Amino acid sequence: MTSNVIGLFHDPESALTAAGRLKGAGFESLEIMSPLPIHGVEKVLGKKKSVIKNFTFMGALIGGISGFALAAGTAIAWPHPVGGRPIITMPPFLIITYELTILFGILATVLGFFISSRLPAFRNRVYVPESAVDKFVVTAPCDDAEHFKRAEAILNDAGAEQVREIGESDL
Amino acid sequence: MSLFSRFMDGWRKYRKPGYYDEFDYHWTMTIDLDKCTGCEACVTACQAENNIPVVGEDEMAKGREMQWIRIERYWEGEYPNAKLSFIPMMCQHCDAAPCETVCPVGATYHNQDGLNAQIYNRCIGTRACAVYCPYEVRYFNYYDHEWDSPLEQQLNPDVTVRGKGVMEKCTFCIQRIRQAKDVAKDDDRRRVQDGEMQPACVQTCPTKALVFGDRKDHESQVYKSMNDPRNYRVLDELNTDSSVFYLKKVDA
Amino acid sequence: MTTETFKLGYNDIHDDVVRSIVKTGPKYYITLATAGSVTLLCFFFPWFYQLYYGIGAAGMNHPGVWGTYLASFIFWIGLSHSGTLLSCVLHLTNSSWRKAMYRSAEAMTLFSLVVAATYVMVHVGRPWFIHWAVPYPNQMELWPNFRSPLLFDVMAIATYITGSTIFIYMGSIPDFAAVRDRTSGWRNTMYTLLSLGWRGTDKEWHRLHWAYTFLAVLIIPLAVSVHSIVSWDFAMSIVPSLHQTIFAPYFVVGAIYSGTAGIVTVMFVLRKTMGFEQYITKLHFDNLGKLLLVLSLIWTYINGVELFTAWYSGTSEEYEALGYKLFGYYAWLYWEMILFCAVAPMLMFSTRFRTSFVPMLILSIAINIGMYTERFLIVATSLSRQYLPDAWGVYVPSLVEISIMVGSFALFTTLFLIFVKIFPSVSMYEVKETMATPKMEPAAPAAGSPA
Repeated sequence: MTSNVIGLFHDPESALTAAGRLKGAGFESLEIMSPLPIHGVEKVLGKKKSVIKNFTFMGALIGGISGFALAAGTAIAWPHPVGGRPIITMPPFLIITYELTILFGILATVLGFFISSRLPAFRNRVYVPESAVDKFVVTAPCDDAEHFKRAEAILNDAGAEQVREIGESDL
Repeated sequence: MSLFSRFMDGWRKYRKPGYYDEFDYHWTMTIDLDKCTGCEACVTACQAENNIPVVGEDEMAKGREMQWIRIERYWEGEYPNAKLSFIPMMCQHCDAAPCETVCPVGATYHNQDGLNAQIYNRCIGTRACAVYCPYEVRYFNYYDHEWDSPLEQQLNPDVTVRGKGVMEKCTFCIQRIRQAKDVAKDDDRRRVQDGEMQPACVQTCPTKALVFGDRKDHESQVYKSMNDPRNYRVLDELNTDSSVFYLKKVDA
Repeated sequence: MTTETFKLGYNDIHDDVVRSIVKTGPKYYITLATAGSVTLLCFFFPWFYQLYYGIGAAGMNHPGVWGTYLASFIFWIGLSHSGTLLSCVLHLTNSSWRKAMYRSAEAMTLFSLVVAATYVMVHVGRPWFIHWAVPYPNQMELWPNFRSPLLFDVMAIATYITGSTIFIYMGSIPDFAAVRDRTSGWRNTMYTLLSLGWRGTDKEWHRLHWAYTFLAVLIIPLAVSVHSIVSWDFAMSIVPSLHQTIFAPYFVVGAIYSGTAGIVTVMFVLRKTMGFEQYITKLHFDNLGKLLLVLSLIWTYINGVELFTAWYSGTSEEYEALGYKLFGYYAWLYWEMILFCAVAPMLMFSTRFRTSFVPMLILSIAINIGMYTERFLIVATSLSRQYLPDAWGVYVPSLVEISIMVGSFALFTTLFLIFVKIFPSVSMYEVKETMATPKMEPAAPAAGSPA
């Protein structure tokens, strides 16, 4: 039977300590849920890299190219003589390019955020409502009861206010 | 041709200013201020030909007059030594028109006859062209105009009646140009000859102060008069490259 | 750091914010009903009348083809400029005082933009064809004219609305999640959907941080470009006194100026009505006052440059326009603007003034009146005196225009009132960040612990 061990902490420091000890004891897929971003997570759980910057960059690039292509392409598709200006008028078209660069950059950033943080997720997942208010929560999946006992011990040792178990069926 | 090669062709071709095809005709008007008496016959003729609404006293007081051609009056000096000068002002059909570039939907553009054309159907009424025009010759339909009976009987069937929210201006009587070109085409595909068509204002001018024709025809009357030494263009320093030439009034 | 929030615990913030959403007194409903009916009566009714009758319902005439509608449009775009822009700059510079106020500032951006976009519809002669200005493929192969500064506007504002909506939403996801757990019924369903299943895990926080930072980096140049582009609607014409290179920075500074003043006003109202006295403090007013002072000085300088350039050009058209602006028909408005936007803000040199709430409120409103006048003057004085003296004229707004202007404020208020009941109007997690983190306590052994 797999279940999840949940440790609620009063302060981020002890939550981090607990997470560190759990990791040291061989627990994997640890998660820390907190009401605010906590500093020093990367020291305990390892440095994270996000792919968002690649999304932003590619989005901006695609936006720039398509922005210019939109302005210049439509001008070529139907040459529309206006005020004796060139059909491909560079300065104004660069402004369109600029705006679309930013627009696509923004949209791609959002896409990157959703993909890399696995949101939106409306299925049931391990969650403790208190973590949104003032509790710092460490969770780890446990394979069996013995596993759970060990984790519970570690969490309590680190100063958990409460340790809970959320099984698959409880979700 | 693939989309990309079409793009590249255009890219090579279209990056310089100017018009990429020769104009078929280059309609031009000259106004001899020495001959102009300021009788405003042109204004009336234009009003009748182009279905320009009569806005009435109240709207006139609000400054919403509609006259595609107007006679501007300027007084110099104080009474009794006051001197009046006047100048007919209409759309100058600039080849480098400021109004054309600003229209977001492209409702005003330059056509193959070198005319500054206004597409009423496409106009969304931003009125930006009227701001950009230094000659102030663009008029806006602030509401749906009505013609009191029996005035609606004299509406010109060749010209659209513009609805509310649309910008309008002098077209050099494009309906007459179109007709003349059609006749010329049916008639052995020749070019429109000098004097074959005239806008309503030119046709009406009792002193023949207004001359209209194709600048590309070097034999035409308008070509000769636009090369008159008295010629000048209004606000030429703005580089609008207008198609209406004025011949200076020489003070006696 | 805000010293006053030290006294509060995480729980208090939660309770305060959730209460501000869930607990709705009769005062709120009365205000909402008033604002809503004023919107309907003063904004939509005259607008529908104008749609039926034509733009003639407004006071525009032959030289003055642009009027208060465009002035209001610039005003609202300008007001939008301090929210998201300020928030982005302060986010990137790690200014913690931003945190209590930025959510409502961003909402201001968003709703100002919505009102501004509505004003575009009010302004044009045939709003039912407004979609022609949007580049969409159609069977006629007709496209908009990408050379037009008005089209830059369309693109820039569309991008800006998208960007600010996303920015405010992204920043609110954790708060939606927090509110989700405290609410029930339809609110719970709504917040469940809005929070997208946010759990606040370390990974999610990390991703949110980076996404938010990239968005901030993208939105700052966007916001600057938006008002530059609005200024090019004017500066790209050859109308004397509009055809000036200073216009882009002039508009950007003016926009941030009026936007910051707008934030002061909204902060004051939020503080009083929502009971956020502990989160929006003197410190915020002090900092905003300093910012306003700097902006007012820059604004005054640019105004001077504008006058100087006109004088230095030596052309008769510019002289005429300059003289008309300073001493003509609209001169009293000009001097009123100078009084409200250049002279009165000097009071903020005094720290006591900056930290007093009511004087700051009055000043911020005065600045925005002055800034509205500025936009009106840009449109009205320049169009009144163009090249040909025969086409000189005066434009006076009609009752319909004034009513729509009043109505637009009501529209803004209505949107804002709806906002405060949906969005947590103070960013909970960021306020928590400004507070002292709970320190480790001597752990009381939990019952049944094997220790």
